[in-house]
Amino acid sequence: MIALLRAEWRKLFSTRLWWGMLLGAVAFTALSVVAQLATNGLPRSDAPPLQTGVEQRAILASASTGYIFALVVGIIFMTTEFRHFTSRPTFLTEPRRGRVITAKLVMGAGLGILYGLVCSAVASAITIPWYSAKGITMDWGGNDLFWVLLAVLAVIAIYAVVGVGIGVLIRNQISAVIGALVYLFIVESIIRGLSALWTWLADIDKFLPGSAAAAVTQIDAGRGDSSVTLLAPWGGALVLGAWGLFFALVGWAVLVQRDVA
Amino acid sequence: MMETQPARIVANHLSKTFGRLRAVSDLSFTVEPGSVTGFLGPNGAGKTTTLRMILGLARPSDGDATIAGRHYVDLSDPARMVGAVLEANSFHPGRTARNHLLIYCAAACLPDTRADEVLAQVNLTGAARSRTGGFSLGMRQRLALATALLGDPRVLVLDEPANGLDPEGISWLRGFLRHMADAEGRTVLVSSHVLSEVEQTVDRVVILSKGRLIREGSLDELHAEGTAWAAVSSPDTAGLRTALATIEPVVTVTDEPDGTLRIVGATAAAVGHAAWAHNVELHQLTSERASLEELFLKLTGEGEA
Repeated sequence: MIALLRAEWRKLFSTRLWWGMLLGAVAFTALSVVAQLATNGLPRSDAPPLQTGVEQRAILASASTGYIFALVVGIIFMTTEFRHFTSRPTFLTEPRRGRVITAKLVMGAGLGILYGLVCSAVASAITIPWYSAKGITMDWGGNDLFWVLLAVLAVIAIYAVVGVGIGVLIRNQISAVIGALVYLFIVESIIRGLSALWTWLADIDKFLPGSAAAAVTQIDAGRGDSSVTLLAPWGGALVLGAWGLFFALVGWAVLVQRDVA
Repeated sequence: MMETQPARIVANHLSKTFGRLRAVSDLSFTVEPGSVTGFLGPNGAGKTTTLRMILGLARPSDGDATIAGRHYVDLSDPARMVGAVLEANSFHPGRTARNHLLIYCAAACLPDTRADEVLAQVNLTGAARSRTGGFSLGMRQRLALATALLGDPRVLVLDEPANGLDPEGISWLRGFLRHMADAEGRTVLVSSHVLSEVEQTVDRVVILSKGRLIREGSLDELHAEGTAWAAVSSPDTAGLRTALATIEPVVTVTDEPDGTLRIVGATAAAVGHAAWAHNVELHQLTSERASLEELFLKLTGEGEA
């Protein structure tokens, strides 16, 4: 297994994928944090004042938008094997395909942690000087801000694992990336909209990947949107992780049966 | 214990069905160590499908294949047992050749120095740090071969390895494969859809057509199957026919479009003797034999079209 992990490590860090996507995650995180900070206090903004713990948590939690890049990097990391047929030498060297998938999931988690750490660091590096420039103190302990950063880290890391899982199941790279994004941004939004009408749908909705991720940082609930019921943060993390493993398990079951191109 | 078994490839009643298409039917053959075996058949005969089943990449619908007595998936150290070259495009275009090899060094627990050794072996050292996206087809073939050689395997399986190689590269590959089999006693299975391409390299052939085994045997055995005849021409064709009719045992005589007669069943010497005995003037007398390529086309049904 250590040999396979070393191989996956080399795969990951020998192309431009990991840092290209990381740059995207950094830019996206910076943008959403700055947007929140800059618009706070403007006449039309309904956000709570910067002094409040709710707002401080919400600003740092917006770093979790980096999850999109973690999800996509996970998908690409897996599907690139099929796209460029490196699956051939990979499975010729290790014909037990389940072990390859396991190594891929572990590396995906590691990469997700890296992305999560960087996104958390970027959010902090922007927020802290901004606050001190405004002369406002951030209460890291009292406002649970460390927990928010940990939640950001968890969401991003788990999403990378989900991405690898999706990539095992849907081997076509374009389909997997587009399918995942369409689901998250369109399908789940529709379900969320409908769940305001039917309460039974709301009970299902909170176990869907997007809602589970929101539960980890409590970012939607923090804005006082009472129609959204979310799981507890740890529950959200477990459910999101379970989705990742679910995709990987179904994908594995299909992949061991199938022929590799 | 198992590793001391000869590194023989055995296909045992292999079959593969894709939907309603029967790509490979009840195919059995053996590839022995110390020889280069040509795996031949026209495009679409099921060669690549068979190789993929041997290599554990495709699952047989029926039957099985073993290498040194084991299924591919059960090999304890696949990279050291088998090296395979399938289509030569199994690289990430953004990765350098050396980094590509280092991945499989890690996966197979081989020292990183192997990557440089195999690059030198296939004359690709100069391109070691170039991204494979810019490689020519010939360079890809070399890198694919380098990947197969990483584990210094006892068995080499190559699918159409000459594709994209220049004449120099093909001649190099010939020498290389012969060396692997003769000097090092390895098992080499090399597929091709053109017999003449591998004719000078292989000792044995396994010929496939429409997913079925047509012939398995040595190249010499195949040669012997080719029909022999004598081609003869004379200004006095009528006299020549009379002379030929005296040859014992009876020969068959056919007219060729070029005006010669094709005589099957007698040597050129016997024909010459009969003509001399009947005082017939000859302008041409040669021994002919069907080429391997003609025989191959006849066997695989390609010549009928």
